[in-house]
Amino acid sequence: MSFSSVKGFERHAVLLKTVARVLHNIASVFDLDMLLSRSVNIICKEFELSDVCTFLIDESGEWAKLQACSSEAGRAMAAQGHQLRINQESIVGASIADCKVCIESNAGKESATLKNPGFPSVGSVMSLPLIAGDDVIGALILQSEEEAAFEDGDLIALQIMAEQLAIAIRNAILNRKTHELLSQAERRAHLLYAANKVGKEIASVLDLEALMPKMVDTIVEEYGFYYAGVFLLDQNSEWAALRAAYGEAGKAMLAEGHKLEVGGNSMIGACIRLNEARIALDVGKERVHFKNPYLPNTRSEMALPLSFGGKVLGAVTIQSIDERAFTDDDITTLQTMADHLAVAIQNAYTLNTLQEVSTELLRNKVYETLADVVTEAIHWIGNKALPISMTIQRIRDDLVDGNTDPALLQEDFDLIARSAEQIIHAKEQIIGPAREHKPRPVLLTDVIQAAAHQNGISPDKLQFDIDDAASHVTADSTQFARILGYLLNNAIEAGANKIMIQARLANEKGYAQIRIKDDGSGMPRDVRDKAWTPFFTTKNGHDGLGLPAALHVVSQLHGNIYLTSMPGKGTEIDISLPVAHFPLITTPKLENAPRSILLIDDDDDWAKFFIKQLGKNVTHRTSAQIDPQSDLILVDEHLEATSVEAVLNAAKNALVISKVVVITAAFDVDRMTRILRQGVRDVRLKPYSLEELSGLWM
Amino acid sequence: MTTILLVDDEQLVLRSLEKTLLRVRFHVLTASNCVSGWKMFQTNAESIDMAIFDLNMPDFDGISRPDAGLELMQRIVAIRPDLPVVVLTAYDEVGKAKGALQLGARAFFVKGREQGLVNLVQEILSDSISK
Repeated sequence: MSFSSVKGFERHAVLLKTVARVLHNIASVFDLDMLLSRSVNIICKEFELSDVCTFLIDESGEWAKLQACSSEAGRAMAAQGHQLRINQESIVGASIADCKVCIESNAGKESATLKNPGFPSVGSVMSLPLIAGDDVIGALILQSEEEAAFEDGDLIALQIMAEQLAIAIRNAILNRKTHELLSQAERRAHLLYAANKVGKEIASVLDLEALMPKMVDTIVEEYGFYYAGVFLLDQNSEWAALRAAYGEAGKAMLAEGHKLEVGGNSMIGACIRLNEARIALDVGKERVHFKNPYLPNTRSEMALPLSFGGKVLGAVTIQSIDERAFTDDDITTLQTMADHLAVAIQNAYTLNTLQEVSTELLRNKVYETLADVVTEAIHWIGNKALPISMTIQRIRDDLVDGNTDPALLQEDFDLIARSAEQIIHAKEQIIGPAREHKPRPVLLTDVIQAAAHQNGISPDKLQFDIDDAASHVTADSTQFARILGYLLNNAIEAGANKIMIQARLANEKGYAQIRIKDDGSGMPRDVRDKAWTPFFTTKNGHDGLGLPAALHVVSQLHGNIYLTSMPGKGTEIDISLPVAHFPLITTPKLENAPRSILLIDDDDDWAKFFIKQLGKNVTHRTSAQIDPQSDLILVDEHLEATSVEAVLNAAKNALVISKVVVITAAFDVDRMTRILRQGVRDVRLKPYSLEELSGLWM
Repeated sequence: MTTILLVDDEQLVLRSLEKTLLRVRFHVLTASNCVSGWKMFQTNAESIDMAIFDLNMPDFDGISRPDAGLELMQRIVAIRPDLPVVVLTAYDEVGKAKGALQLGARAFFVKGREQGLVNLVQEILSDSISK
């Protein structure tokens, strides 16, 4: 039944039912396009009209734009952007302008007809203003093929329908705006995340060649762009060379050595020359856009300068397959990223320059040091060899002349012997520290005392301040005693009355800090600066190899050695060495120890250690008093109250020399040979750990 | 008798050179550094006919320097410009030799070729006398 054919109460009933059905169908639609489309179709169908359209007021407020139509022709017009001015020229414009319902019962005859050849033939037209609250947002147009199809009595029900539709449309518009804002906020958050990611990488990746590819990858992957690349200026600032680029296209361009002329016909060239961003939202219209065959799909392009302190270092290119692809947020965050990258590039350049300068300085220093060493070595060798050759020449001349005064000859031979002795001593100084090292836990005080004893330094001059935690270090005791001997001797020769030896745990984990501080004369700066140079010495009869040997030995033990000295304020030597690591021995093999051990040693830390481990078996003496019943007689090589020679003589007299084992902190071939010739059982390195202790009788 | 001032900090070198010079009948005054060499010169300034200085030895502050001998030579030559000075060194280097000669040394003698030292000393003394 046609709506227009129904009259009276029945018409009202049909009208209200139809309005209700229409509103029911559109009530749950929140998408604007779907709402508009569905509403015109439902109204058209339910009211059996020829066409129904919706116009909405545009942003200017001057035009009503056709949004949706139930007819094919109307949709085509909407797609073409059909719009009507809001005035009295059209029924649509008039109903919106006057905010009232306009009806044309005979559309063909009246002046304000919606005239358009595209519409189906029209008998009647009704334009209902779409009013949401106090605002008119557009108009709903009902068209019928029949003339006078709409009656005044229909108005209230249709206006209610239009009002409800207007509210639904306004809600849909608000819903769309909300979604747009939400989407914008999400993208903004994502961009901030991406910018933060690049910022972190800039802070953590020092290598520019690693950083730039990460940046282009982040830009493309996080922003969803087509391509990104980084160009850096060459030395002459004439060309910008591609240094990092995204994807296969990027790889190909990098392989080709892609570069663009500064100021040339490219966005990058213009961006660098002007030190400002260049943005092409439609590359077809951008004069300076560089048509790149590797990137055929680019529709938008942005070039951002990499600038630091007003100086342009290069530029970043970012490309998209969409036109108008870059939002204000994109541009802001990407420029921030580019600024961060510029700082990283500048830092890398600065670091590179510093490294070059440092390398050059180091090279010069190495040459200077080598020259010093060579000079000192030649000077030393010349001075030691000269008396030999000169004296030999003199003896020859004397022999030719018949001058053979025994006293003069004796002095000449003595000159030769002393010079040769110094050369031999230097050989030992050079070769000794280079001998194989066998690091093991050593008791610091014991090795220092042994070094002092070997060098004839009175124990009264030594003061110890050793922390328990630093009492044992890892070292080869023979080599360590050798260099401690050099250092203690230097102190004594500088006139020291007291030598303080301190040991603490170092700041560096696993290391002990040993300080040897004397109250001697100290060194002037130029002597101190050359103190580590081999053959440099200010002392007659010295070879200048002590400190270089100490440096060598400490380095072999993975330690460090430093010297601090000032004239009149003495000298401090700081040595760091690994603290000793004692393997955990659950069952020390001490049960095999001899039942009766005579230990002849000073009352020192090592003797305490030995007695603590084997107390029941040990008789401790500090003098050459031999107990012949002992199974083993252990004798320290360095004794204060007596001498090893005295003890060995006593053992010989008691006929127990074969029970004697001499223990020493540091081997010396000559001394060891001399002791072994006395008939002792053995000469052994002093054990400083339980593991080594059990080795004494195995 | 010709008197030679000999200054070297290496005792064995000093004694050996002294003996070599004594053997050829020179009168030798010895010192082991710049300070003692300068004192020896001041005490015997008029009687010294020639000086032989080591280049690398303790300077006037007692600090060993590679060119301390030149410092001593300059002080002495300032007082006795006619005094022939031979600079001894273990380091065979053209620049150092030229520098020593420019500062007033009569010769620069490299240790290790000492058999020629006596000849050189006699040659220089002979030149000085003929002038």
